[in-house]
Amino acid sequence: MVPKILVVFFLGVLFAACGGNKKQEAATDGNGSAKPTDTAVDFHKKNILFFGNSLTAGYGLDDVSQAFPSVVQNKIDSLKLPYKVINAGNSGETSSGGNGRIDWLLKQPVDVFVLELGANDGLRGIPIKETVKNLQAIVDKVKAKYPACKLVMLGMQVPPNMGADYANGFKGVFPQLAAKNNMALVPFLLDGVGGNPALNQADGIHPTAEGAKIVADNVWKVLKTTLDGR
Amino acid sequence: MAKIFWLFTMAWRDSRKNRPRLMLFISSIVFGIAALVAIYSFGYDLRRSIDDQAATLVGADLAISTNKPVGQNAMPFLDSLGATRSRELSFVSMVLFPKSNGTRLVQVRALQGGFPYYGDLETTPVAAGRSFLGGRNALVDNTLMLQFNAAVGDSVKLGQVTFKIAGILNKAPGQTGVASSVAPVVFIPLQYMEQTGLAKKGSRIEYSFYYKYAAGTDVTKMVDKLKPRLEKEDFNYETVDSRKENTGRFFNDLTRFLALVGFIALLLGCVGVASAINVYVREKISSIAIMRCLGATALDAFVIYLIQIVGIGFIGSVLGAELGSFIQNVLPVVLKDFLPLTINTVISWPAIGQGVLIGVVISFLFALLPLISIRKISPLFTFRLSFESVNFAADPLRWLVYSLIVFFIITFAYLQLGSILGSLFFTVGIFVAFLVLTLVAKLLMYTMRIVVRTTWGYLVRQAFANLYRPNNQTIILIVSIGLSTMFICTLFIVKDILTEQLVVSGSSTQSNMVLFDIQTQQQDAVAQLTRQQGLPVMQQVPIIGARIEEINGKTAEQAKKDTLPQRPGERGRRGFGGELRLTYRDSLVSSEKVTEGKWVGLVDPASTAPIPISIEDHYANNLGVKLGDHITFNVQGTNMATVVTSIRSVEWNRVQTNFRVIFPKGVLEQAPQFHVLLTRVPSTAASVKFQQAVVRQFPNISIIDLGLVLSVLDSLLDKISYVINFMSAFSIVTGIIVLIASVRISKYQRIQESVLLRTLGATRRQIGTINALEYFFLGLLSALTGVLIAIAVSWLLATYSFKLPFVVHLAAPGILLGSITSLTVVIGLLNSRGILNRPPLEVLRRDV
Repeated sequence: MVPKILVVFFLGVLFAACGGNKKQEAATDGNGSAKPTDTAVDFHKKNILFFGNSLTAGYGLDDVSQAFPSVVQNKIDSLKLPYKVINAGNSGETSSGGNGRIDWLLKQPVDVFVLELGANDGLRGIPIKETVKNLQAIVDKVKAKYPACKLVMLGMQVPPNMGADYANGFKGVFPQLAAKNNMALVPFLLDGVGGNPALNQADGIHPTAEGAKIVADNVWKVLKTTLDGR
Repeated sequence: MAKIFWLFTMAWRDSRKNRPRLMLFISSIVFGIAALVAIYSFGYDLRRSIDDQAATLVGADLAISTNKPVGQNAMPFLDSLGATRSRELSFVSMVLFPKSNGTRLVQVRALQGGFPYYGDLETTPVAAGRSFLGGRNALVDNTLMLQFNAAVGDSVKLGQVTFKIAGILNKAPGQTGVASSVAPVVFIPLQYMEQTGLAKKGSRIEYSFYYKYAAGTDVTKMVDKLKPRLEKEDFNYETVDSRKENTGRFFNDLTRFLALVGFIALLLGCVGVASAINVYVREKISSIAIMRCLGATALDAFVIYLIQIVGIGFIGSVLGAELGSFIQNVLPVVLKDFLPLTINTVISWPAIGQGVLIGVVISFLFALLPLISIRKISPLFTFRLSFESVNFAADPLRWLVYSLIVFFIITFAYLQLGSILGSLFFTVGIFVAFLVLTLVAKLLMYTMRIVVRTTWGYLVRQAFANLYRPNNQTIILIVSIGLSTMFICTLFIVKDILTEQLVVSGSSTQSNMVLFDIQTQQQDAVAQLTRQQGLPVMQQVPIIGARIEEINGKTAEQAKKDTLPQRPGERGRRGFGGELRLTYRDSLVSSEKVTEGKWVGLVDPASTAPIPISIEDHYANNLGVKLGDHITFNVQGTNMATVVTSIRSVEWNRVQTNFRVIFPKGVLEQAPQFHVLLTRVPSTAASVKFQQAVVRQFPNISIIDLGLVLSVLDSLLDKISYVINFMSAFSIVTGIIVLIASVRISKYQRIQESVLLRTLGATRRQIGTINALEYFFLGLLSALTGVLIAIAVSWLLATYSFKLPFVVHLAAPGILLGSITSLTVVIGLLNSRGILNRPPLEVLRRDV
């Protein structure tokens, strides 16, 4: 029973695909073709860094190529724009985890920075000011290293069962930070997908491949305005 | 008709001759059957108690749940499943304690109906567990109450509604799942759900439906029928049986163990009855010869004694069954204060029926064995008292009786074990044990015949000669003592193996609190805080996310092409594309064992050679990688070339972090990572104090408190381990009693000789020494053989039936060996005490 508890718990955004006890799940869920996120510096293309959690990483999808950043890459490719998407999604990551990880990723040049973090904070009921503090710290680090970098904020909401007070406070975090830091804002990343069982996996929170396409559309509407060359 | 009456009269008359002796034989049967009935009945009782316990894990006979709102057409279906039902919505939410203005994440369970049907919502005050549903009340987990310094009567706010705290929640059935461990629980009545405003589109809610059925309903069978519909609706379902399966191996182990005990009880009964009957019939041979002299036909003699023995078997069995039921009913009352669970004793008619039936059938079969040779006893035997020349071999009827006995044992074993294969194995095992013991006995007799020298002192010579001379009891005693020892010792060892497993799985040595999302710069401070609070840092591990980029130079896409079309049985490259959590460290932990290759714990960061890594065996199999294969990992955007240098087996069933892939120290220290810390908190108060301190200093850290969940599991494991200990102790004691009884029936075997020796002038001391030496040898040899067989049997059981590592602590078998040997000697001496303490003439004049 003990393992069962942890097995189930470690599922989901909180701790997706953790090696802890979830033995075979993740080991067997992907047998498709991985499109390697080649990070070798390509001087002809500019880098778009998608920095986020399981939604970016495409948790539960057959392959990372079905996750929304890859869908965005396809759109970019079809328009022949000189941009390359780097998927830096890490399932289960909170804003504080992101703050610890960002330096590692900033070793490579970043031209557009897309921030998709906070959902796990919300699901764990982490105090809102803590999330604000961490997200701000991440943005500060990006700005300090690449002052010319374009910034995009992907807004999140928590489900209504968290209570109106918390949900409203949480929802407000993203527009506030976007305005303060002069970032382009996607008001709600999962707009049209969240709460719709048909577009979500069985866990009810991670979009299916179909859902990810809608998510990519939501992102693309805003992201395209920040790209050069069109 | 008159003839039949005459046969019965004769059977009766013959039994009158020596009633005390008859009583001795009956007592052996009584003990054998009493042991059997008591063990069976206790087995049933304890099973039921454990099943009742298991039912509280779910709290209902059937629980159906889904994380999607239930549609219009599914609702009538759910309603049709049972009249006694409850509904529950559960979800996480932020709770507000207005008094202290504190908020935190909780697990809300909005309940309607009589759930839990098994067990109770244990609350303070007690009545609140049921009465809170009557108003705008809430039951609040003890941890929360302590954290916010709240008292019963205060209020909590969930969504738009303020509830009055009606009680503190201490324990709730069906709460062993995930939800309760993520956040502390708050129960509210379902009717206020609407008002809270928490159930809206997009809310993540688990909808549960609980059903209770009349006792005796086969829920598993019912659910099997419902399965297609349940699956179509995408409903999860759980029954008490399925929960038991998921709870782990413990229930299965218990079932197997009780079956083993039942089987041993059966054989103890057999030993008790068979050894009594065997000796009894042998003693009757001279009487039979006399009857033949007086004109009785061989058939008459046969039937007379068959009637008599089956009669004795029946009386003994009924008395034994009564004694067994008496013990079953009295013992729990006597032990009431020590029992961790309430045992409701129910008179078990199946147990009694089986006991009496077994007693009679065994008496019949084991009487047949010597009685068929009665047919060949000629009247002349009366005058030539040479018993040994009654040739038992080469009678085809004997083989018929043997096969009947084997058939009988298989049948009853099947009744106990419920598996044909299992009962065959057990029967063959017993047969082998029987053969080994008989061989040992024969070998002893043969050796003694050769070894004994006339130059030895008379006492030693006489004692050893007793082992092989005519009228010896070597085979019968070695077999019965040996078998009893074997049963007792097997129980000892298997019990130890099982309870050890329970201790390992129990949480008393394991962590019950997990802190995660600890950032690298926080890890030292968190560990320090933990120690400051007097808590152990049981594990502290870094966790890093990565993906596999290439295996032996091939990406997943290429690998996929290569392995298609896949031949059956070929290892595929599954689990390639997904995310992977890995760690780095310099040593193995206790749950790991390297099965192939060599563990490398440290590398030079400056080295450019591929990094040596260790992979878990199942994962390696899934990936289709072997020692020496090259894997490239994408660690957060940085590719790292590695080589598999070791493959590990990992025990996953512990509360600790385990990993499929482990890097050595020296390369990943700078990679993005978070840390997990495992500790053990001794009490709720300590847990609350620690959680508060952590949250205050490190608001980003999430804490899972497994205390409540593990305590439910622990109390269950305690009970299972208690049942196992109790049943083995009880069976061991009855086994010893049966053993005493079967040695005791050899009382009359040596009487005549002892009296003769006494008349010839032997002192008490001399006769005592002769008897003691004989019994010492018999006891030692049979106990030793029994113990050795038991070790072999336990190894087989552990390896093939329980599938557990075989461990034997030699102390138990050693003590058993000593005590059974001395027990045999003591009984042997007691057997002859009556003769030794009285003058020879007095003994001679009595009818011995």
